[in-house]
Amino acid sequence: MAEVQHTATSTQPIESIWEFVKEIDNWAPMVTGYQEHEKQNENDSTWVLKGDLGSVTRTLKFKVHVTEWAGPERVTFELEGINELMTGKGVFSMSGAGDGDGDGLSEITPPARPGFFARLRDAIVRFFVYKVMGRHESRPPEDRQTSAEPGAVRSELRFSLEISPGGPMGPMINAMVKPALVVAAEDLARDIVARVEAEA
Amino acid sequence: MSSRIPARWDLEVDVVAVGSGLGSITAALAAHDGGKRVVILDKAPRLGGLCAYGGGEVFVPNSRYMAKIGKQDSDEAARRYFAFLSGGFNEPGLTEKLLATYREAVEYTADQAGVRWEAVDGLDDYYYPDAPGSATGRYLAVEPFDGSQLGDWQSKTWASSPHFPPATHKEMYAWGGLANITKWDYELLGQRVAEDQRTFGPGMMGYFVKAAVVDRKIEAHVGTAVRELITDDDGRVVGVRAEKDGKDFFVRGASGVVLGVGGYDHNKKMAMMHEEAHDWNSATQPYFHGDHLVMGAEIGADTASVPTYNLAMFYGYNIPGEEHDGAPIFRSSWECGCPHAIWVNEAGERFTDESFYKDYQPRVRQWNGRTQTQDNVPPFLIFDTNYRERYPLGSFMPGMDIPEELAVKADTPRELAEKLGIDADGFEKTLARFNEGARDGRDPEFDAGHFSWSNRLAGDPSYPNPNVGVVEKPPFYGVKLSPVGVGINSHGLRTNADAQVLHVRGHAIPGLYAVGISAALLDLGNGYQSGTSNMRAITWGYVAGRHLGGR
Repeated sequence: MAEVQHTATSTQPIESIWEFVKEIDNWAPMVTGYQEHEKQNENDSTWVLKGDLGSVTRTLKFKVHVTEWAGPERVTFELEGINELMTGKGVFSMSGAGDGDGDGLSEITPPARPGFFARLRDAIVRFFVYKVMGRHESRPPEDRQTSAEPGAVRSELRFSLEISPGGPMGPMINAMVKPALVVAAEDLARDIVARVEAEA
Repeated sequence: MSSRIPARWDLEVDVVAVGSGLGSITAALAAHDGGKRVVILDKAPRLGGLCAYGGGEVFVPNSRYMAKIGKQDSDEAARRYFAFLSGGFNEPGLTEKLLATYREAVEYTADQAGVRWEAVDGLDDYYYPDAPGSATGRYLAVEPFDGSQLGDWQSKTWASSPHFPPATHKEMYAWGGLANITKWDYELLGQRVAEDQRTFGPGMMGYFVKAAVVDRKIEAHVGTAVRELITDDDGRVVGVRAEKDGKDFFVRGASGVVLGVGGYDHNKKMAMMHEEAHDWNSATQPYFHGDHLVMGAEIGADTASVPTYNLAMFYGYNIPGEEHDGAPIFRSSWECGCPHAIWVNEAGERFTDESFYKDYQPRVRQWNGRTQTQDNVPPFLIFDTNYRERYPLGSFMPGMDIPEELAVKADTPRELAEKLGIDADGFEKTLARFNEGARDGRDPEFDAGHFSWSNRLAGDPSYPNPNVGVVEKPPFYGVKLSPVGVGINSHGLRTNADAQVLHVRGHAIPGLYAVGISAALLDLGNGYQSGTSNMRAITWGYVAGRHLGGR
């Protein structure tokens, strides 16, 4: 199982984040490798993404089923691969400043953001380092960022995703997808917050 | 004009190595060790070249590694084996130089460049074990390579091949070959991915790249496409014009330029002209366009060919949506070596031992002068549910649905034939005839299962005949196949025994060398087999680098 998590903070209230997140069409194109999605109903949709697996790019089709709309705090969902043996689940968690289990968020200065592939390379190297150094963690390291000025944080969005590739090659594919997921989670959380900030 | 010397060079060295596969990098290493300043330029975004997608086998008779595993060999036996392979289509002088040098070259890579070779124990000359001079233990492969040794270059090399999970050769054969790929130890392989432990081609090239850019600090530029050879007034190649970041990048190579840019797998026009196959596709990275032939032609370089029907060309397919660096990637079909799978042509007839690519290559190129067609093109891969219950189709594991755009599915052979557009009567007769022999593990028509290569690599060793099983359990499946190159092309620059490129007038072009697949395979003649391409790349790279270094 590959598990990633990223938190982004916002100057906007939790309700603004929720208003944006509750409508899938708003943020679907922000998903890394997004090609298309189709909603069957409020809870079910099918997605097509392109993603890197080792040296090749694969087209991934999967179903998403929202298991809980608990606005404005939480949306949980499950994934099931259509053309790949894969299952997964994810959560968008929204909280007011200080409500989450993070700390010191407002003291972090936003760094410049290089391109996707540069960050993917960094993620791969980070991943190798964690493995090679034996620093296996029960939870993946969070890369907290904030777009807010110190003291201005009013809410945070945490995106968590677990992917479990199935089939006999699952353990190997699991290791191959993890670096890309790290970057994808970071992109999605940050881009949602950035859009909410821009539209405020 | 190709003789345009720029007013200012952007970079000045002694040797420009173009490409970063085995041939180029070995030339770079040998030239550097001969005291030359070297730069490596590659149009791809990563170092490692064609070889980094391959199996990483190197065929080296009578090596010290054979002795380590207790195998006997001799240079004379090797000579007889290569004579058998060549079919008389080689140039004896080149073959002699190759045979006189390959062991020295490979030992140089081990002793001076730190490549950790080992003999693949128990692997015979699995193409022609009954041929004159055949022996066991000639195949070398590398021990797993730790990608973290590459430092900043770790992410700028080909860390994995889409065609080979990061197992070792010993493991692959011990785990039952490619047919049993679903039974491999993926916990171990996942750990290797996580720790960037590389094997096969990526592992082999890891050692070579490390020796060049890390240990020797040879300057290298990726994303830098060499477009033109620059000659002086005497016709000597003195540098190149490359394109880097959208601008000209002039690099002087005072001693010379080595072209090791692979072949033309991604140039359909060249492939059709030289490989006698339409709709050529490739399993390689999309950076091999025949640049060496274009640049060589501009300054009068001679070219040569070996017969097309005995190289490493396969048939295969693209899994819809699967790409690398923006281009579709094709997979060679190993499925035809598994039991419960056959090939047929549009007449619904088998025409070859489909488990051995050396058998099917001449047959797919067979021309019917009465109808002006290649009657066995396209071949169709046919398999049944016996197959689907046991083996994958590409990335589609048993139990997964295969998309219709890849494989046609039908409940009866007749329905399958009609859907594929092949002759249904002929197909039904073919299946009945094949299954009659297959029940006893035999293939009276084409003798599938005869070759060790097919048994070991593509077949299922748990079967009495690893390559034969009945095709009778519905539903049935069919895949239309396309030619899939693996970068081993028949046409290249003509070179001499110093790896210098020859002019069409017969003399060597001073300052220009060609190695790897960029050099015509006249040293092997009609004799390609796994590992010979890598062996000759190392050998001629070594020869070129030493010649450039004045040795």
